[in-house]
Amino acid sequence: MKKLAVPLLAVLAAIGLAVSVYLVFYDAPLEYSRNAELQLNGSSLFFNQKIVYFHVGHAFWLFGAVFVSGLSSIAFLKTRNPRWDDIASASTDVAVAFGAVVLFTGSVWAKAAWDVWWKWEPRLTMSLLLWLILVGYVLVRRFAGPSADRIASGMAIFGMVVVPFVYVMVGEGNSHPQAAPGLNPSEGVVGKISPGMRPALWLSVASFLCWYVALLISRVQSTRAERELRELRERGFDLGVLS
Amino acid sequence: MTKKLFARSIVLVVLLASAAAAFAQAGAGAPPASPPANLDAAREACKAAMNADPTFEAYIVKIADEKAQQKRDQDTIDAHNDAYHHIQKNERHVIYAYAGMWVVAAAFVIFLWRRQQALKLEIAQLRRDLEAAAGDAKPAGRS
Repeated sequence: MKKLAVPLLAVLAAIGLAVSVYLVFYDAPLEYSRNAELQLNGSSLFFNQKIVYFHVGHAFWLFGAVFVSGLSSIAFLKTRNPRWDDIASASTDVAVAFGAVVLFTGSVWAKAAWDVWWKWEPRLTMSLLLWLILVGYVLVRRFAGPSADRIASGMAIFGMVVVPFVYVMVGEGNSHPQAAPGLNPSEGVVGKISPGMRPALWLSVASFLCWYVALLISRVQSTRAERELRELRERGFDLGVLS
Repeated sequence: MTKKLFARSIVLVVLLASAAAAFAQAGAGAPPASPPANLDAAREACKAAMNADPTFEAYIVKIADEKAQQKRDQDTIDAHNDAYHHIQKNERHVIYAYAGMWVVAAAFVIFLWRRQQALKLEIAQLRRDLEAAAGDAKPAGRS
């Protein structure tokens, strides 16, 4: 069953993504409304709305992955059980990939909506900061030596604390689409999205959950293999096989 | 006989009238006459009339301004329509975003797969070496 988990989740994610691509392009309506509650920051973005489905799907599980990493790191620091550290490390690696997608698709969206690739507005800046913390975690694990696991755990917890700030960083004067006039910032576009757009959005979110879990399990296996290799090397040094 | 002659005359008149009407209609569809050759003279006459009558001049200027404004408005509407269709059908950014997403996903999967393969090979090699070392150590210990 354990061996089947990754292929099964990957197949589920592939089917879900195929169906959600169909829904995104053939079923979900384009929102042309000038209604302040539905418009995306003063412009309807027209065809570029199609980016939002996968951008939001990745953002959801970026936050999810950072939380998994932070909680696993707390468990690791408390119990010193390396299994928790493996999960934290694997989840952060996946979060870095998801974060790269979120920043890239967000940047393309900014170009389509505002004709600039980047805006130093609070949410985008905080998202970049979160991603840099995750990249920092990966670098620390790689280069910080014997205490890397504990330093990285601290960074993962710090990253987890940053997530709510990224989410609530929508306020007055903020030009992120979720801060559109007439929208309740805590609900954002996702909360007020047109009912016709919801099936495609939620299916893509569910598909990316399967994809995230498949990648997480796969990466945990790889992290455990790395641990096994380290232990074998130590035995090799003890036996004099390695020098 | 007289009655017959009268009836034939009526038919003839009707036929001739129809032919004349058809001919006149055909003439109306003909291309308009070319502008008068003395256009300069007409312009001069118009200019003189405008100079002589300020009301007429104001009227002509107003008409010209209205025509120019209509053309500017139409140009603006055309430009807006062009921009609207461009944004509405702007698939370029959607393609960039989707391509980027799949490239990152593919790169991550390839990285995972290659790392996994390399680890498997290295672990298998190290295990063999360790078993061989342990095998060598045992006979040496017995002797």
